Amino acid sequence: MREALEGSLAIARAVALTKPDVVAAYPITPQTHIVENISKLVADGDMHTEFVSVESEFSAASVVLGAAAAGARAYTASASQGILLMSEVMFNIAGLRVPLVMTIANRAVGGPLSIWNDQSDSMAVRDSGWIQIHCISNQEAVDTTIQAFRIAQETDLPVAVCMDGFVLTHTMEVIDMPSQEEVDAFLPPFEFAGALDTANPRSMGTLVDPNYFAEVRHSHHAAMGKALAKIEEIDAAYAEVTGRASGGLLTVDGPKKAKVGIIAMGSVVGTMMAGREHYGGEVGEARIVKLRSYRPFPAKALRAAVKGLDKVIVIDRAISPGMGGVLGTEVSAVLSTLDKAPKVYNYALGLGGRDIPETMYRDLLTTIEAKDAPRFAVFDADLEKLPPEDR
Amino acid sequence: MTQITRGTWAEAGTSLDFKTGNWRSTQRPVHIHAKAPCHGACPAGEDQQAWFAELQMGHPESAWRSLVAANPLPGVTGRVCPHPCETACNRVQLDGALAIHNVERWLGDEAVLQGWDYPVTPPAKDAPVVAIVGAGPGGLSAAYHCVRLGLRAEIFEALPEAGGLLRSAIPPTRLPRTALDAELNRLLDLPGITLNLRQRLGRDISVEGLRERFAAVLLSPGCESPKPWSVKGAVPADLHEGLALLRDFMDHGALPDAAKGDVIVHGGGNTAMDICRIMKRAGAKSVTLITASGLPGPDTAPDDLINVVPRELEEAQEEGIEIIDHATVSRLIMKGSRVTGVEIIALRKERGKDGRKRRVEFEGTERVISVDMVVPCVGEQVAPEAFEGLLNGAYFWPDNLYGRIAPRTFSIGDARGNRGTVAAAIGDGRIAAEAVAAELAGEEDPVADARPEMAFDGLNTAYYAGAVRVPVAKLPVAERTFDAEIEGGIGRAEALAEAQRCLSCGNCLACDNCWTMCPDNAVIKTTELAMDGSHYVFDYDYCKGCGLCTEECPTGFIQSVPETS
Repeated sequence: MREALEGSLAIARAVALTKPDVVAAYPITPQTHIVENISKLVADGDMHTEFVSVESEFSAASVVLGAAAAGARAYTASASQGILLMSEVMFNIAGLRVPLVMTIANRAVGGPLSIWNDQSDSMAVRDSGWIQIHCISNQEAVDTTIQAFRIAQETDLPVAVCMDGFVLTHTMEVIDMPSQEEVDAFLPPFEFAGALDTANPRSMGTLVDPNYFAEVRHSHHAAMGKALAKIEEIDAAYAEVTGRASGGLLTVDGPKKAKVGIIAMGSVVGTMMAGREHYGGEVGEARIVKLRSYRPFPAKALRAAVKGLDKVIVIDRAISPGMGGVLGTEVSAVLSTLDKAPKVYNYALGLGGRDIPETMYRDLLTTIEAKDAPRFAVFDADLEKLPPEDR
Repeated sequence: MTQITRGTWAEAGTSLDFKTGNWRSTQRPVHIHAKAPCHGACPAGEDQQAWFAELQMGHPESAWRSLVAANPLPGVTGRVCPHPCETACNRVQLDGALAIHNVERWLGDEAVLQGWDYPVTPPAKDAPVVAIVGAGPGGLSAAYHCVRLGLRAEIFEALPEAGGLLRSAIPPTRLPRTALDAELNRLLDLPGITLNLRQRLGRDISVEGLRERFAAVLLSPGCESPKPWSVKGAVPADLHEGLALLRDFMDHGALPDAAKGDVIVHGGGNTAMDICRIMKRAGAKSVTLITASGLPGPDTAPDDLINVVPRELEEAQEEGIEIIDHATVSRLIMKGSRVTGVEIIALRKERGKDGRKRRVEFEGTERVISVDMVVPCVGEQVAPEAFEGLLNGAYFWPDNLYGRIAPRTFSIGDARGNRGTVAAAIGDGRIAAEAVAAELAGEEDPVADARPEMAFDGLNTAYYAGAVRVPVAKLPVAERTFDAEIEGGIGRAEALAEAQRCLSCGNCLACDNCWTMCPDNAVIKTTELAMDGSHYVFDYDYCKGCGLCTEECPTGFIQSVPETS
């Protein structure tokens, strides 16, 4: 049924459809509405879940770790500083191969303090070993959240569904919410082979000596590689039930003959598509690659997606100070094995909630026409705002 | 090759295979039941910490039972004892000693009031009978402990009433006769104790006769004879010795006429202090104590301090007794056979040939005081009649802890020569009774409590909250009479509150510190397995010997000892 919903409420309802046994979360802007709505669903008797109010994100992550280890379908959500506080537990959840799902309502990380959207929080836990899937719309976020539970339990890996704070979480969108029957048909009951069992006691999180640690990391990396196929497969399975897919690992959109490509994650992809619609005639139509699965990183699919392109603009919603873009650096690394690799222009945009208007599409394409176009820049930074020595 | 599971799950319980105890190399924690210093200092052998523990749990009757396991007369000692326990109390170094003395008195009085039964069972009808000479605190304690140990006791007392010096030499202002009688009568009523009054040794009975008739003989005659006193050979014709004067006054309520004038008391002890105060109260113009010892102060070493109960000294000074310390009487000025003045000389320290300092007369410091009466009060010794062959000089001086002076024959209390307190006599009575019981049973002498003592620096005082000592009321000087008890008592609530101040030195408080803080869960909480009265056992398979429990144990009950291979 189609309904106009705030992004956060839509996510809360999607989570409810997956019937989690345990939800534990600590409120933080811009994730708050998600948890608020879940607690309301529980309080109203519309969701039969053990809702654990905790005193910090560290506890929230610890509770869902314990719950999933005990065999419960578990969910949490956070953002920004909350993700950083969770980070220790996030590494443990992934390293111990515990399947559960989290929503990251992407927000900048302080300091200085910012409550607005960029993706530096999920980038900060890039190496924690979680699957990270980015959504460009609330519909995708709803569908991906439901898919994430199945991805998690089929891979024994935790899944973070990333959605841009405010831009998505606080925005009304017409959502086609799947029915309970559809979700039940798609998502089997939670099963976790590693779950604790009092009849067959085992311990988790034990000390692993140097003779085995490398093997643990190898198998984790290999599992992420195998998850690529699962993400595609499960998106297809979801489409069979609901008639709607979210784009597998990545989606390529635009003319085959295009010489310029744009690679991006999250809501900025939608902005670029709208920009192309309005300014395509003026500056040309670029091929837009919507990267959905950031971890695992779909290197092979990406190489295929850039085939025929001369130039690629990679939009980063985060920055690695001292290096440049995060996604851009990775794209460069992946494309470097190609014989005729396109030139990569990596621009950080919209940091700390800076608005990204549709004109950005035109500005980006115009910029790279110049021969001395920078390979990396904080594109929308206004250097006049800085003292000369800091520019 | 071992394969790892996904997520590195491990078989449960495998961490127990890591016997971290094998890391322990230098020290291991052990439970050591150290003696609390109060217990170590108590001449009667009371374990104050043990009975305070009962009080802390809110059981006054159990506390009293624990107390009377050593001292059957807490109502008496709770009034007259100089309480070395309080001097030794570790809490002195925090916020003041525990009011052990006052709580003891409350327990003694409460036992009388509530009629709590002494924890004794009647001895068998054919149990051996022990003869006890003297019904003072030592003899009574001996009789009580004989009964506790299954023997019977027959006491022979020269006077018409039991009590010894408690009755004859301690003024009712310190020990009201009602309190004394109440406790004494309860003790004398115990099955197995027979009291024979007006039976004087040497006149009605003899040591030899008693040794023939009884299983054992315990001699507790006290010290009845004043030590000889003269000033360079001179003695006033109308000399009144301090103890005799005190006894006469307690019996007849009268003092010689000369006591109305200026009085000098020469000596330094509780009897001297008592006679000073009684004479002052009876109307003496002035009372001056001349003592070779020193008053408390920075120049007085502990072993040089005047040997009286500190509060008695304080009260005496409040009442206007003048004390001249570090001095002696060097000459009597007589008019005929009557004293009219004394020459006093200061004493100074001089190192003798053996290297020890002693006090000698300081020539040139002589001064003369006009007096009407001089009362020597320099101590007493055993009246030698009837003890021929047993005394070693003026006293018994047994060469052993138990007071044994011959087979089945023991000496108790002041007559041993180096005692001097009621509590010491009570302690002697107990130890002698235990030795008698062992000897009659053909066993070895009992072993003394050899536990080490817990010093203040062995405690972790971070775990004790500050609490002020219970204040005790005292009769104002103007209201002090010959009868009214000067020191007030405390109530039940105060006694229970005071008990909470006990630091439980060297004993388990069940505070859970060791159990909570052990980083290896090597402290197991179990009252079943803990055979030492604590609540915990150490699991040495896992104890790394880090010493955390030792450090954090408030009472010093946990101590680290060197690890032996």
